[in-house]
Amino acid sequence: MNHQPFETWLLDDKHLNATEKRDLEAHIRVCRTCSALAETGLALRSAKVVSPAAGFTVRFQQRLAAQKIIERRRRLWGMFVLIFGGLGLLGWVAAPYIYTFVSAPVEWLTAAVGYFLFLFTSVQAFSEILSVLARILPGFIPPYAWMVLTSFLAGMGLIWVVSIWRFANKPQGVTV
Amino acid sequence: MNEEQTWVSQAQQGDDEAFTRLVETYQTPVFNLCYRMLGEPELAEDAAQETFLRAYQHLGRYDQKRPFATWLLSIAAHYCIDRLRRRKFAMFSMDTEDDEGNTFEYPDADAPNPEAESIKGQTQERVHELLKDLDETDRAAVIMRYWYDYSEKEIAESLRLTVSAVKSRLHRARKELAGLWQDQEDDLLAEMERRHHESPAF
Repeated sequence: MNHQPFETWLLDDKHLNATEKRDLEAHIRVCRTCSALAETGLALRSAKVVSPAAGFTVRFQQRLAAQKIIERRRRLWGMFVLIFGGLGLLGWVAAPYIYTFVSAPVEWLTAAVGYFLFLFTSVQAFSEILSVLARILPGFIPPYAWMVLTSFLAGMGLIWVVSIWRFANKPQGVTV
Repeated sequence: MNEEQTWVSQAQQGDDEAFTRLVETYQTPVFNLCYRMLGEPELAEDAAQETFLRAYQHLGRYDQKRPFATWLLSIAAHYCIDRLRRRKFAMFSMDTEDDEGNTFEYPDADAPNPEAESIKGQTQERVHELLKDLDETDRAAVIMRYWYDYSEKEIAESLRLTVSAVKSRLHRARKELAGLWQDQEDDLLAEMERRHHESPAF
């Protein structure tokens, strides 16, 4: 028998019968490659499992406690930065308005009331247009178009629900 | 639900004591994998601690259908691979004793057959040193195969490889180890021969 099957047996850690074992032993005596493979295989299989030094769990608990403190600090700092950053930005944006209000309050109040009046009348006009459209449109749009539109919206809704469900039930492997 | 699954569930709900029990149970397999991967007890200790920390932080992602040990060892293997890739170690220390005096691989002097134990210890030390020459992922595959008896499928799942890739990596690693083993023996023989020829005649 040539070298290859013996090498494959050794690499696959194949369970050998008595004849195969005898053949392999004979081959190992003359083949240095297979001899080294057998020796390393034996050494790997007989290797010891090494334990950590005593007190590993206590050291882990200490590390976990330290990590929790770091994370708490980081969250606190994040919150501070967010709050003060937001306030600063708001102040920066609002500063010209505040200045105008303080320097000429009557003028500013008139402009604000005018703006709110414009907003109110615009919303009223828009709702009026919508109610007119709601009265007229059903007569123009054929029933099958409504069916298509309803089916489309239902389909989109279904896709949305399925996506959320799949995301929530996604099997979790190790991606640490 | 077995005891381990109960601990995992409790830990997932924020019970730190349950997680501590998991640490106690799996400290040795995790440490051993890190030690075989990184080569030094100090680095292995740090990597094992980091593995448990990551497991703690990502416990919500753990799928109970998978064995917890496989998930944990997978985290450890990936952490060690990343660490080895980030920093290629130029040389590993030959020390096998940590600061607190815990021995790791030295043969036991009080063993019934010190010579046999010594040879066994030397062989294991050689394998341990040779492992360091393997590619990081190949090394993880070899460790999972020979220290944890993982099947090729389990290794593939842990290292995010295909079964055929694992098989070919294991073959390659075993051949590489055998080649290095053979080279060492050749060097040893050559050295012995050289000393024999150089020895003065009395």
